[in-house]
Amino acid sequence: MNRVAANLLRFGVPVLASFLVCGLFFSLAGYDVWEVTLGILEGAVTGPGSFRQSLRWSIPMVLIALGFMISFRTGEFNIGGQGQLMLGGLGAVAVALIVPGPQLLILPLAILTGICAGALWSAIAGLLKLRYGADEVITTLMLNFIAVLFIQWVTVGPLRDEAVRGQTASTKRVDPSLRLTGGDGISPSMLVLVALAILVAWLIAERTPFGLKSRLVGANPVAAMWQGVPVKRIRLWAYLLAGGFAGLAGALEVLGPNGRLVTDATPTIGFTAIVVAIVGMSNVPGIVLAALLFGGLQASILFLPIVSDLPSSGLRIVEGLIAAIVTARFFHLRWRKKQAASVSE
Amino acid sequence: MELIDQFVVTMLRSSTPIILAAVAGLFAIRAGVFHLGMEGLMLAGAFTAVAVGTVAGSVWIGLAAAIVVCLVLSVLYWILIDKFRADTVIAGLGLTALCVGGTAFLMQAIFNQRGSMQSSVRLPRPVSGVNDGLLAFVSELSVMTWVLPILVVLGWILLTRSHLGLQIAAVGEYPYGAEASGVNQSRVRLHAILITGVGCALAGAQLSVGDLSAFTENMTNGRGFIALAAMLFGARSPLYTALAGLFFGFADAFGILIQIRADGSIPRQFVLMAPFVITIVIVALSSSIGRRRRRF
Repeated sequence: MNRVAANLLRFGVPVLASFLVCGLFFSLAGYDVWEVTLGILEGAVTGPGSFRQSLRWSIPMVLIALGFMISFRTGEFNIGGQGQLMLGGLGAVAVALIVPGPQLLILPLAILTGICAGALWSAIAGLLKLRYGADEVITTLMLNFIAVLFIQWVTVGPLRDEAVRGQTASTKRVDPSLRLTGGDGISPSMLVLVALAILVAWLIAERTPFGLKSRLVGANPVAAMWQGVPVKRIRLWAYLLAGGFAGLAGALEVLGPNGRLVTDATPTIGFTAIVVAIVGMSNVPGIVLAALLFGGLQASILFLPIVSDLPSSGLRIVEGLIAAIVTARFFHLRWRKKQAASVSE
Repeated sequence: MELIDQFVVTMLRSSTPIILAAVAGLFAIRAGVFHLGMEGLMLAGAFTAVAVGTVAGSVWIGLAAAIVVCLVLSVLYWILIDKFRADTVIAGLGLTALCVGGTAFLMQAIFNQRGSMQSSVRLPRPVSGVNDGLLAFVSELSVMTWVLPILVVLGWILLTRSHLGLQIAAVGEYPYGAEASGVNQSRVRLHAILITGVGCALAGAQLSVGDLSAFTENMTNGRGFIALAAMLFGARSPLYTALAGLFFGFADAFGILIQIRADGSIPRQFVLMAPFVITIVIVALSSSIGRRRRRF
């Protein structure tokens, strides 16, 4: 219990502090902070339908963050969640649009294809790291940029919906029978799916030999190697799982709220998910909580321009500030040691 | 002939910010800091140069302000990673996100502009007399490109021939040894990060008031990260890093040339992808060839 309290302090305080600092900044810049605060609350919790929106945004975040958590514990810094999400969406939309068949068959196939597409995109970085030692931070970042451009090409080229004449290019909408939810992104089947995915992630991370070995590899790869742990295979699986979860998130976006693949639909979710994983202390309950928080923030970023004149990029500052300070140790609590201790348990 | 001119101009233009950021970033990376905030610093520099330059009516004041802003942000970053032991990678990414959001926010809050804003000032283009002939392209280069070789050599001297440079290398290679021999590693790291900050400010300013005369949201578009790749490709040596940056410029120009020549039969997106793909290939190549060093 003491540890939980310490962790809440450790990660709750930077989040709160970021909000306070930004609030001070906004009030100095001449904005009505009270109005903004109310706007954030209204957009995230109290407004009509806003809690559904918060939940809707926390779904992709929690999934990507869980994948990031698994690879982070293995010592791999896979920040390619954004790209893997987009590729997952592409995989799902391609199956949903092209392959004919009954809903019962196509829907799982589309989700599975999304997962595989995300996993393969992540595996590129994994193989480059494991074979050549290419720094995964750089390669996954670059793969994000490539994925964005690739999706842009797909949506203006091969899978383009000719009917759309708007600013944003997109694919055709998938058949309504293949959609898990309506536009608001929440439905019983979606929630069950996400709950299942969270459960699977928890099982993988906490209740399987792989989970234990991956933490061993993350804590001390040399020791793990001498213990007979297949270090490279564990690391590759970490990449595949991280990509798989992000791919699932992409597939659910396409088969859920978006209903089609849109360029630049969710440009910053991948980054936010990393913050979610860190704020959630790289464990499953923490990540779920953090995802709800940041889902709410995302919902209010979209809502705020309606009620306040604060530019929505202002809330992006909050997010960046949280990311910048969240790993700082202001209280001299031993974060690394605690990690080591939790491995030896 | 015009095509070659265009090619050289594009190459020099797009490699200038990358070389500036990369050579400056060497200070941080040699001091053991994998500085992912460089992308954000460049963006902050680009915005400040346009904003202050436009308000003050002088590009030099804008440039100075850009440097000051980047120095302040660098000090904050240093306090976080050095004093409070924040994770360098996550804090760096956070700094970048902060600058992406912050520049967009300030642009809208102060200038009431969304997406992009024009700059009324521009860095001078010192050679303007040449209007035709083989060397006509030189008149399109900003002063930053002209002083670039001097800055690179300066970086080389500082890194490899100066007391500070050796201290930086010592801190990056083996902090405990450096500490034991009386080097204040915290201060050395601060100096390294500050120099990186100045370089990023110049690189950002080159993008916004050197190359164009406008600031666009997120206009760095990954160049800060590409600069990191140039450092790895250049084996952390200033001269090779500068060459690596030049190569990225070459690839950029080559992509545009292909696009012009192929009359759009190659989709625009694939041309834009080229630098990122090349970065991945280069990082893989250089780490398989070179001695692999760990990030932390």
